[in-house]
Amino acid sequence: MIKTWRIALHEYQRHVFTRRFLVGLFSVPFLMTIMVGVVFLLISMENKTRAVGYVDRSGLLSNPLPAPTVSPPNKPIEILAYPDEEAARAALQADTIQAYYLLPDDYLSTGKLKVVHVSDLKPQARSQFFDFLAVNLLAGVDGRVSGRILEGDEILIQALDGSREISSETGWVGLFVPILAALGFVVAMFTAGGYLMQAVVEEKENRTMEVILTSGSPNQFMTGKILADMSIGLTQIFAWLVFIIIGFKVAAVNFELLQSFQISPQIVLLAVAILLPSFVMVSACMALIGATVSEAREGQQMIGLISLPIWIPYMLIGLIMQNPNSPLTVGMSLFPLTSALTMLIRQGVTIIPNWQIALSSFILVLSAAGAIWLAGRAFRLGMLRYGKRLAWREIFTRMGASA
Amino acid sequence: MPIVEIKNISKSFGAVKAVDDASFNIEQGELFGLLGPNGAGKTTAIRCMLDIFKPDAGRVSILGGDMSEDKKDRIGYMPEDRGLYQDITLERCLNYLGSLKGLSPAEVRQSSQDYLKRFDLEAHKTKKVKELSKGMQQKAQIIATLLHKPDLLIVDEPFSGLDPVNSQLVKDLLREQHEQGVTLVLCSHQMNLVEELCDRIVLIDHGRVVLYGTLDEIRSRFSGHAVIVQTRDELPELAGVERVEPVNGSFKLNLAPGIEAQEVLQALVTRNVTLQGFRISVPTLDEIFIRVVKRESDGEGGAA
Repeated sequence: MIKTWRIALHEYQRHVFTRRFLVGLFSVPFLMTIMVGVVFLLISMENKTRAVGYVDRSGLLSNPLPAPTVSPPNKPIEILAYPDEEAARAALQADTIQAYYLLPDDYLSTGKLKVVHVSDLKPQARSQFFDFLAVNLLAGVDGRVSGRILEGDEILIQALDGSREISSETGWVGLFVPILAALGFVVAMFTAGGYLMQAVVEEKENRTMEVILTSGSPNQFMTGKILADMSIGLTQIFAWLVFIIIGFKVAAVNFELLQSFQISPQIVLLAVAILLPSFVMVSACMALIGATVSEAREGQQMIGLISLPIWIPYMLIGLIMQNPNSPLTVGMSLFPLTSALTMLIRQGVTIIPNWQIALSSFILVLSAAGAIWLAGRAFRLGMLRYGKRLAWREIFTRMGASA
Repeated sequence: MPIVEIKNISKSFGAVKAVDDASFNIEQGELFGLLGPNGAGKTTAIRCMLDIFKPDAGRVSILGGDMSEDKKDRIGYMPEDRGLYQDITLERCLNYLGSLKGLSPAEVRQSSQDYLKRFDLEAHKTKKVKELSKGMQQKAQIIATLLHKPDLLIVDEPFSGLDPVNSQLVKDLLREQHEQGVTLVLCSHQMNLVEELCDRIVLIDHGRVVLYGTLDEIRSRFSGHAVIVQTRDELPELAGVERVEPVNGSFKLNLAPGIEAQEVLQALVTRNVTLQGFRISVPTLDEIFIRVVKRESDGEGGAA
């Protein structure tokens, strides 16, 4: 067993302590930070800071209440009163304001008002002015009632057995996070698997394989490599999680809806029961590819055979979210290559029955064991075929024969 | 008791029979030569010996029985196709390969340090393996094979890529291992080196054993009825000499049946030929090798 650990440690150090891995590791959170920064920048640019004016002929705003506060990244827009339309128009032409609203005499009875602007009126300016109007329209109403109307409804959707509750306010975070987690998981799985495949091909190419196999068994070799592969993937996931948690903590200070976000126990269950055996299965498949091909480039092409079905749930994400319990979706949850992503996407929109998780996990464990066995088989048959590809048919047809 | 027993092993890859009913033993503590032309089945025989391949038929006994994981720690194997990790430092590569042979981190560090010094590679230990010259990589490969002080050492073409100085270094090292009681299997096609180092040999051709025994036995089996004469004088016609062939500045005198070497020597002295050398003609391993392999390819098979 100690040799297995030594192989695992060697593989782990060989791949993790390299510039390529570290660049890959930090580039994801770096790019995410850039993306979030760009989104904030765009929102900020949407918020033209120039004021919005109004001319009130209805008398509603003769003694106005202030506009409600806005939450970041939005910025408050100044709302200015003008005595008449000429003054407002002059301010608009002088570019002091981006638009002005005209509340006619009969506004309170008709609800109709006019807006005048030169360039496009930004949605935030429109939204903040209407909030200002709403506050003043509700000026005489009981504070709790007006507050309720201004904040809008929060609908809580609850499972019949009370096992789960989703808020209409924060529910999207619960949907978004598992999908993001699935994306990170698949990327980590393929990055680590790619290293494994490449390492096996390299060992065939530089003939190290022969030396290694006179020091340990193919099973020790395979197990060590898969352990290293999983550790590399987990290192990536852990590092990204740290970044995400830090990001959440920082963002939660400004975003109230993030403060209420919690990891559901079902996500933890899925991580252990579905993602872990998926990882082992894909690692073994990568080793299997490495053992059968003659060069790394050929291996990269063959990875497509595995990666394509794994990404299918992403391509069908709309269908899965609309019909999370349809026979197709349940079938994809049970099929080993599609189950990881399908389960994570479904988790955000439905309650997955425990029997499906258990059955999917069972199938995945069996598939992982089968993939390890096949990889070991291919390893023994293909390890010393320098420059020659091992035909898949041979792996199966020579099952009874000795290697 | 033999340290390795190969009994009637056969191994095929598709229609190609790489090893065909081969049998030979390697005795404890001997320096054994495994010879054969390219593609003869030497490497496949070694791989069967080391349990990398399972033979289709026959049996291999190594270190007193079937191969086990513990036994692998007592064997050092240097394949013909060198197997070192190219993108890590030499020191790390040796430490890893040594650790897979059951050495503790401290033991492997000490052992690799000693050998690096001896092979004059200490200054290069922090370089990546791919940055080393071919000869240095060859020496590194030999170190990786010896790090764990094996009882059985199997080296496949250990001299390829080495200059004369380093060839001598490796030869001395192999002799030293032999003196320390290590059993050595030297797989090579460099006959002069095998002749110089080995006690016994097996020659494999087309997967079959075509020669097997001690070097002396084999040489005497192939020695013809001839003498080698070295002289600056012109050779006179001698009674009992059937044919004279020039051989590397000397003459090979093929004698008629019933004629003894002593009679030829006496005739030469009587005829006042100034002799610089006179010896019984014994074929070199090279000559035996060519003769046997040619005979095999001419279809006159059968183990000698």
